[in-house]
Amino acid sequence: MKRTFLVLVAILAGVTLMIVAAHHLQPSANAKNGGMGALRGAPAPDFTLKTLDGKTMKLSDLRGKAVLLNFWATWCAPCKIETPWIVDLQNQYGAQGLQVVGVSMDDESDGEDVKKFAAEMRMNYPVLRGNEDVGNAYGGLEFLPTAYFVGRDGNVTGRVLGLKGREDMEDNVKKALATKAPTQTAQK
Amino acid sequence: MQRGGTAVLAVLVMALGVPAQELSPGKTGGPSVSLVAAALPSIIRGEAGSVDLRFHIANGYHINSNKPSEEFMIPTAMHMEATTDIVIGKISYPPGQDVSFEFAPDQKLSVYSGYFTVGVSVRPLHTVPPGKYAMRGSLKYQACDNRACYPPKQLPVEFEVRVVKAPAPHRRRSPQSPHAHS
Repeated sequence: MKRTFLVLVAILAGVTLMIVAAHHLQPSANAKNGGMGALRGAPAPDFTLKTLDGKTMKLSDLRGKAVLLNFWATWCAPCKIETPWIVDLQNQYGAQGLQVVGVSMDDESDGEDVKKFAAEMRMNYPVLRGNEDVGNAYGGLEFLPTAYFVGRDGNVTGRVLGLKGREDMEDNVKKALATKAPTQTAQK
Repeated sequence: MQRGGTAVLAVLVMALGVPAQELSPGKTGGPSVSLVAAALPSIIRGEAGSVDLRFHIANGYHINSNKPSEEFMIPTAMHMEATTDIVIGKISYPPGQDVSFEFAPDQKLSVYSGYFTVGVSVRPLHTVPPGKYAMRGSLKYQACDNRACYPPKQLPVEFEVRVVKAPAPHRRRSPQSPHAHS
């Protein structure tokens, strides 16, 4: 009787451990894309996207500036909380070479909601319409908000996943600003 | 012997507890909402009935209610595929819970968390043969946790309805008007 009980428990434990192991070994969306951490120190994936007023903007055209790349969406409540901090950071550090770029990941929107949201939040920086390709290039963007910080040399210096605090963002902005811009000869 | 079994069980419980501790953005593969149960209701053809669909939201997440408190929030909404035999009526949603979150302590959002039930009103046509009928639809939701939000998702929903004949009318021996004894 006891032996049967133990055998059953052992089988159950084995099956459970296999399920748990499979859960942990299953590649996540991030892993499939090399993981968000894989971008740190690497050149920021370049992209060309449209702004809300229909112009095009290329990330690499901002070389020489520190860039706060903020991925957000209108339906994201935490994004709404951090937006005023980002507006403040643009005001505070813009003169030192910070350029905030907002990338809206509102797939289903016709753009009007995004425009309205941007106006209500007084976004003082360009807002681009993101897409899946750009999202995948930046680790899959499984959730929002996600911010990447790009140094003056075009390399990723940091990231903030989800809502943390203004201090986290400001520390990352300072790190990005502290990088050196490529020399003109290097640019050629 | 029993002590050994208890130890194995303890390991088992600990192993099962591991995934539940990893509820933070980027570690779980995203939130999940699942259809827990849809009782197979018997509905008389030609008459309206309701099907209660019970959903579960994974621990640590919430989704907007059907009437979110904020302008840009995406409401939870059920969409049913039209059928030729059964008319889909009103879809009813529970009221949301007004909850404040760590990211906005001064703001209350109307959300569902844990379990919630959506009612789907259906009316089989008079001509429908009795039997089981599959109904299909999807639940659109957008989930968040305490620090981040996840893109909107569509959960396919499928359930069955048993259509039955109306019970035979009770016959009386003496013919009289149905209003006579009302």
